[in-house]
Amino acid sequence: MATRKPSDGSSRSASGTPARAANPHAPAGVRDAVIVGGNRIPFSRAGRKYADASNQEMFTAALEGLVARFGLQGERIGEVVGGAVLKHSRDFNLIRESVLGSSLSPQTPAFDLQQACATGLEAAITVANKIRLGQIESGIAGGTDTVSDAPVAVSEGLRRALLDASHAKTLQARLKAFAKVRPSDLKPLTPATDEPRTGLSMGEHQAITTARWGISRAAQDEVALASHQHLAAAWDAGFFDDLVTPFRGLTRDDNLRADTSTEKLAKLKPVFGRGLAEPAEPTMTAGNSTPLTDGASTVLLASAAWAAERDLPVLARLVDAETAAVDFVHGHDGLLMAPVHAVPRLLARNGLALDDFDFFEIHEAFASTVLTTLAAWEDADYCKAELGLDAPLGSVDRERLNVNGSSLAAGHPFAATGGRILATAAKLVAAKAAETGKPARALISICAAGGLGATAVVESV
Amino acid sequence: MTAGTPATGAGEPLRVESLATLPGLGGLYARGAAASGRIAAGRAMPGLPVIGQGRSVEGDGEAAPLTLPDVAYQVTGVPTADLAHHLHDYQRLLHEPVTDVLPAGYLHVLAFPLATAVMVRGDFPLPLLGMVHLANDVELRGHVVLGDVLEVRAWAENLRPHKRGVQVDLVAEVRRQSEPDARPVWRGVSTYLAKGFHLPWTSADAESSADAPDDAEDRAPAGTWTAPLPTGRWALGPGTGRAYGAVSGDRNPIHLSALSAKAFGFPRAIAHGMYTAARALADVGHARGDAYRWTVEFASPVLLPGTVDVAVTPDPDGPGFAYVGWNGGRGRQHFRGTVTPL
Repeated sequence: MATRKPSDGSSRSASGTPARAANPHAPAGVRDAVIVGGNRIPFSRAGRKYADASNQEMFTAALEGLVARFGLQGERIGEVVGGAVLKHSRDFNLIRESVLGSSLSPQTPAFDLQQACATGLEAAITVANKIRLGQIESGIAGGTDTVSDAPVAVSEGLRRALLDASHAKTLQARLKAFAKVRPSDLKPLTPATDEPRTGLSMGEHQAITTARWGISRAAQDEVALASHQHLAAAWDAGFFDDLVTPFRGLTRDDNLRADTSTEKLAKLKPVFGRGLAEPAEPTMTAGNSTPLTDGASTVLLASAAWAAERDLPVLARLVDAETAAVDFVHGHDGLLMAPVHAVPRLLARNGLALDDFDFFEIHEAFASTVLTTLAAWEDADYCKAELGLDAPLGSVDRERLNVNGSSLAAGHPFAATGGRILATAAKLVAAKAAETGKPARALISICAAGGLGATAVVESV
Repeated sequence: MTAGTPATGAGEPLRVESLATLPGLGGLYARGAAASGRIAAGRAMPGLPVIGQGRSVEGDGEAAPLTLPDVAYQVTGVPTADLAHHLHDYQRLLHEPVTDVLPAGYLHVLAFPLATAVMVRGDFPLPLLGMVHLANDVELRGHVVLGDVLEVRAWAENLRPHKRGVQVDLVAEVRRQSEPDARPVWRGVSTYLAKGFHLPWTSADAESSADAPDDAEDRAPAGTWTAPLPTGRWALGPGTGRAYGAVSGDRNPIHLSALSAKAFGFPRAIAHGMYTAARALADVGHARGDAYRWTVEFASPVLLPGTVDVAVTPDPDGPGFAYVGWNGGRGRQHFRGTVTPL
């Protein structure tokens, strides 16, 4: 694998030459950050193959697969950046510990980062920026999450009692601290996906957004069906052969249902938005919503020179990125609508329009997230009032959308999704450019809890 | 509601009676229960003087008219410096930001026991227990911070008819001790209904009663009110009433347990109205500013444990917020109100 050459040999600058950024919109003094490749473990539905695998074990497995794929044993990487959304406090140095458990040089620095479901992409943006500024020559970005092995916390009452007791100086004071514990305090707290400020789960939030935009059940099921069909076809075509390392006996994403159909999806009962008043109709089912999933992913980024020196392939450049946040607390905008705001700013800064993209990788938190995103970009009023645009941003060509499937089929281990999408997008644009002889581009959009969103442009080299 | 100096129904200024310290609500409920029993006994037993403008329950008793005590209670030199822990507990429970600034709901907790003390006076004509909290209208005109020394005043006013009985306003005012003559920094009007009592109706009363919050919402035929899309959902545990009772001192038995609530005709414990209103106020967040008017009208009780869907939304035409809480499953409104910067 490590011997695979860049699709376009002429684009490679002479080894060691500090290449100027190929992007004319890049600020002066920055260089390109290129994507060498990616590696992840197959994603698995919660409670299945990875039921007892920890975040560190999964991330180490994904990282070690990347090391093997690109011959990085003993290599001192500039920085390894990643994180987990559901993270135990003992994993304070999750990524560094994973590095120490890998065959990378122990002199490889690392740090943890977390931005909910945008963690993986934000890690890549951070690594790419360090490379672009010349602070590092190489970096690995990624993420891992386990719902099966999620940390369990004690209740606030028990936590306070334990802390008070540990601060107590006498046995009497310690006993007094414990005397405050009530039976109900002994119930453990498992992580919830509820938004802390609203008490609504992410699914309920999206059900509200779905109702507001009037997205139909049929349209959502269509997105879900396409995701499964596209992912199955990509696996069958060997697309993931150099992007995935088997783990714990799993060789494919086990949420994938190649045999699902419109009829099967239509039979599922709605699970979100059931309490909404008429005329809102519950349309979101387990079929058109992402399941809870375990998994980990990594992406290797570098300066062009570093990759060339090691004779490593270069798939694409991470051109630019933009994050955004929306005011969802009082319902001004939908919880998962932040990427809708980020993309127009990203495109404007880079002189691009939606038509300039060959691929759109829009994370399928829910099928309706994709559809509300597309609807918002087509809506003149929304684009004017909320995005400050004179005209609608435009339409996304469905033929270019999530062409190899996305989270509905693959699953969505929160922090691991960014790495999955980035590696897929990089490989897609590389193949497209090789096929057409012209540059190819992909737009990545990932929504996240807290009204957050991260977006990025990836371009062939 | 009437602003300004406390006055009797006839417009005479109230006699101000100073108390040494703010009373605690816990003890007042015991006194209130005794007084309620006395008042109920007075209504039910023939031969005893009957309260209620001349029409006795039994038909022809000699009855005094319903009149409010002509007194305002006042406590001066109320310290707040040692309330840090209590304030923190309140802020955590109500999801308020933890700062040294006393939110409007916390000042209600501080001041309302003085109003309750008025309600448990022997000459207060209505029973404390069993009264229904209809509405609250609060104005906060500036920062009150830990360490401020306060002056609290409370009285009852505006006894008036309601479709199902008699309603009365309990007014409480908080001033900074350093500015005793300034307008109150906090003023709260709590409107209560005593069911089964009667006052003569005038046409003006009928009109004002039409605007008055009553239980029209929960008695309205299904389908007349459509819930908006929620902005939040509160999962209220069975201990919600006990938790707010501990922080506020309002340990009215209807809030504490299913058993004690059943004694007063509720199937389960019910959340304190002020807990729900204060949660909504906290949900508005920083947009409310330092000075604001905060209103609430209660439509139907929130049974515990329970889930309340809420919509806390900015007013499209102004700087304020409107909020409404309802039962998501049944579409039944629990409360609604506004928060408007002043």
